[in-house]
Amino acid sequence: MMTQVETLVHYDNGYGYEEEYMLQEDEWDRDMLLDPAWEKQQRKTFTAWCNSHLRKAGTQIENIEEDFRNGLKLMLLLEVISGERLPKPDRGKMRFHKIANVNKALDFITSKGVKLVSIGAEEITDGNVKMTLGMIWTIILRFAIQDISVEETSAKEGLLLWCQRKTAPYRNVNIQNFHVSWKDGLAFCALIHRHRPDLLDYSKLNKDDPLGNLNLAFDIAEKHLDIPKMLDAEDIINTPKPDERAIMTYVSCFYHAFAETAANRICKVLGVNQENEKLMEEYERLASELLEWIRRTTPWLENRTAEKTMGEMQRKLEDFRDYRRMHKPPKVQEKCQLEISFNTLQTKLRISNRPAFMPSEGKMVSDIASAWQGLDQAEKGYEEWLLTEIRRLERLDHLAEKFRQKATTHETWAIGKEQILSQKDYETASLTEIRALLRRHEGFESDLAAHQDRVEQIAAIAQELNELDYHDVATVNQRCQAICDLWDQLGTLTQKRREALERTEKLLDTIDQLFLEFAKRTAPFNNWMEGAMEDLQDMFIVHTIEEVQSLIAAHEQFKATLPEAEGERQAIVGIHNEVQKISQSYGVVASSVNPYSTITMEELLDKWDKIKKLVPQRDGSLQEEMARQHSHERLRRQFAAQANLIGPWIQARMEEIGRCSLELGGALEDQMTQLKQCEHVIVTYKPNIDKLEADHQLIQESLVFDNKHTNYTMEHIRVGWELLLTTVARTINEIETQILTRDAKGISQQQMHEFRSSFNHFDRKKNGAMETDDFRACLISMGYDLGEVEFARIMLLVDSNASGVVSFQSFIDFMTRETADTDTADQPYILVEELRRELPPDQAEYCIMRMPPYKFPGAPPGALDYTSFSTALYGESDL
Amino acid sequence: MNVYSITLAGPAPWGFRLQGGKDFSMPLTVSRLTPGGKAAQAGVGVGDWVVSIAQLNAEDMTHVEAQNQIRAATDSLSLSLSR
Repeated sequence: MMTQVETLVHYDNGYGYEEEYMLQEDEWDRDMLLDPAWEKQQRKTFTAWCNSHLRKAGTQIENIEEDFRNGLKLMLLLEVISGERLPKPDRGKMRFHKIANVNKALDFITSKGVKLVSIGAEEITDGNVKMTLGMIWTIILRFAIQDISVEETSAKEGLLLWCQRKTAPYRNVNIQNFHVSWKDGLAFCALIHRHRPDLLDYSKLNKDDPLGNLNLAFDIAEKHLDIPKMLDAEDIINTPKPDERAIMTYVSCFYHAFAETAANRICKVLGVNQENEKLMEEYERLASELLEWIRRTTPWLENRTAEKTMGEMQRKLEDFRDYRRMHKPPKVQEKCQLEISFNTLQTKLRISNRPAFMPSEGKMVSDIASAWQGLDQAEKGYEEWLLTEIRRLERLDHLAEKFRQKATTHETWAIGKEQILSQKDYETASLTEIRALLRRHEGFESDLAAHQDRVEQIAAIAQELNELDYHDVATVNQRCQAICDLWDQLGTLTQKRREALERTEKLLDTIDQLFLEFAKRTAPFNNWMEGAMEDLQDMFIVHTIEEVQSLIAAHEQFKATLPEAEGERQAIVGIHNEVQKISQSYGVVASSVNPYSTITMEELLDKWDKIKKLVPQRDGSLQEEMARQHSHERLRRQFAAQANLIGPWIQARMEEIGRCSLELGGALEDQMTQLKQCEHVIVTYKPNIDKLEADHQLIQESLVFDNKHTNYTMEHIRVGWELLLTTVARTINEIETQILTRDAKGISQQQMHEFRSSFNHFDRKKNGAMETDDFRACLISMGYDLGEVEFARIMLLVDSNASGVVSFQSFIDFMTRETADTDTADQPYILVEELRRELPPDQAEYCIMRMPPYKFPGAPPGALDYTSFSTALYGESDL
Repeated sequence: MNVYSITLAGPAPWGFRLQGGKDFSMPLTVSRLTPGGKAAQAGVGVGDWVVSIAQLNAEDMTHVEAQNQIRAATDSLSLSLSR
């Protein structure tokens, strides 16, 4: 590198900084009016320059007069090139918004010490090209050129000086201005080659190839120096005087790319120092702030005052979260930033060979770190504490709620229990009802026991709430106390009720037992009484004194059992009274009705009284009966006495008569006389019979049907008497008949005796009648050789009544008939004269009228057929 | 009760006495037998009832009716009796 004495060439620099500036503006006005070519060049150049900065903000402009109209990109440009923030742009699309934004940009420019004359926001917004270009030039001038300082020359002159100094070693380059000096392009190349000989081979360049030189320089600048193309090579060559501002703008970029003058270096170093100092201050400041913030925050994090409610604690937690989420992160960032700044600072210092930065006391990195650690710990502690507290409060709330719920449930359950337990319903209950009540009470007791648990739980919760220092523990305690008191009360009442129920049950049970006993005893007693009543009223019919005596004896036996019965009665009454007594003395309302027995006390007593009355009654009746029986006995005896006389008397008479009839000796007339005498005796005896009849009537009226004192009944006597009468009459009749028969048949007395003796002989039984066997024997003895048939015939004749016996009269008849029978058998006719002779006249005429004449030959005249007549009369005919 | 029948060879007399009849309120019976007579020889017994005469029921006959029935038999007489 060739070092040259750098001569300062001032280019039109007679005025002050500001004046020069103003002057430039005047020139600018004139220029604007005169050269459209410059407008074109400026446009291109300025657009490219703006874009070179705007690309840092990620945007570009296409059209310089259009794209700055709304002021947004303008503001952005200013921010990029100044490194400062502008106020927020208005986001509206209206014209006044755009104007406002442009004004913000212009205000910024003004704030940098630039006086803007005749540049108005409206013109820019309206897209005035000249205004816009002018404004951009103002910006370029201020921000890219104004600060250039070379060997105490600044701005335009400074830039020019720098170009001359840098291109001094190049003989073919002579930069005197910012227009024609640059036309051949060698100046650009020289500038590049001076700083970066590696980028081009200057020796190869030719003055006669301006296009090539320019394009080469532009290309290299764009490619390697990060300076975008802002000039058009052809425009420069073709324009006699290229636009000064455009050239200046482009060259300023080279300056900014390369400038490393000593002054600049010093500036830089100073700048760096200043920067460093600023950073150090910044660090200190930030450190202080941070530490202060930590100092402020830490007590807050160490605060352990508990809140009462969960809500409040949760708010605290929220605050903490906010702290963590919103307040701390920026601080973290700050700390980070602090660290970064610290590190950067230290690095920068090291690079600049400066001593390391030593923060002031208490602001050392370690201090910050330890303070930060303290903060973290405090945070953690606080968070833990918050969560613990919240949990505690949560638990308390939960417990309190649990307590409330349980207490409410229990209180609800307990409603009315006191009243129920105080009921006196057992006083009027029956045994079964009491038992039911007891069951129900048992159920209640077990329910109570089940609730014991719950009450204890409630108390336990209350205790815990006390231990955990619940804020409303007073209310809780009060309620708990009330519950416990009531609980005790319920317990007491339950016990009392149980006792009362049990006691009542016992009493009712006793009464029930008594009732049962009563029933058990009254039933048989009642039966006994009813039986006794029946017996006592029993209608008896007795016929003997013995029977009455046995009844009396039985009655006496019964009377003997009365004392025992009386005892039983008293026992039963005793039971009944017992029941009454218990009922009354214990105030237990026992049902007056005995469930086991339908028999009431009144009934029993009533019957007893009846019995008491009946006993003597029966005594009386029995005695009466006894008397009656005695009188009957007397009657009996009376009757018997008489009958015993009369009976044999009759018997004697019967025998007498029998004998009489059987007697052989004496005439029938004598027999008759005897019999008649007998008859008379008998007749005179009649009064005795009558008396007996009278006695018998008495006996009968007394309903006495038996008489053991005599074997003779009235009937016997009566029959005997009748028989006697009939026998005597019959026997008399028999004798009479015998007499008649004797007379009729002409049987002699002797014959009669013979008949009699035969009869008597064969009358084995001697009762005046012959049995069939007797008769048979008799016939055989008389010479009758009888076959059975013949005998039967004879029997039929003799005993036509089939009585089985042959009377003497029949015997006589038979005997007499036999002898007389044959007389008429051979003669079937009878003569009229015989009839008239034999029969009474009227009978004879009767027969004569009815008898048919006998028609057979050999009959005498007037013979009558009497067989058919007799047949018709007797029902008998021989065939 | 033993019912039997006999047939007597004629002519009459048959040798028995007939007693009874509806008009006498007595059953028709044999009240007498002629010893050695035709009835006796045929085995008729005294006291036997006459049930039928010549196959005619004798229960409701009067004495005269029975008598006539018997008298009407010439060559032979059939009787049913009971003893």
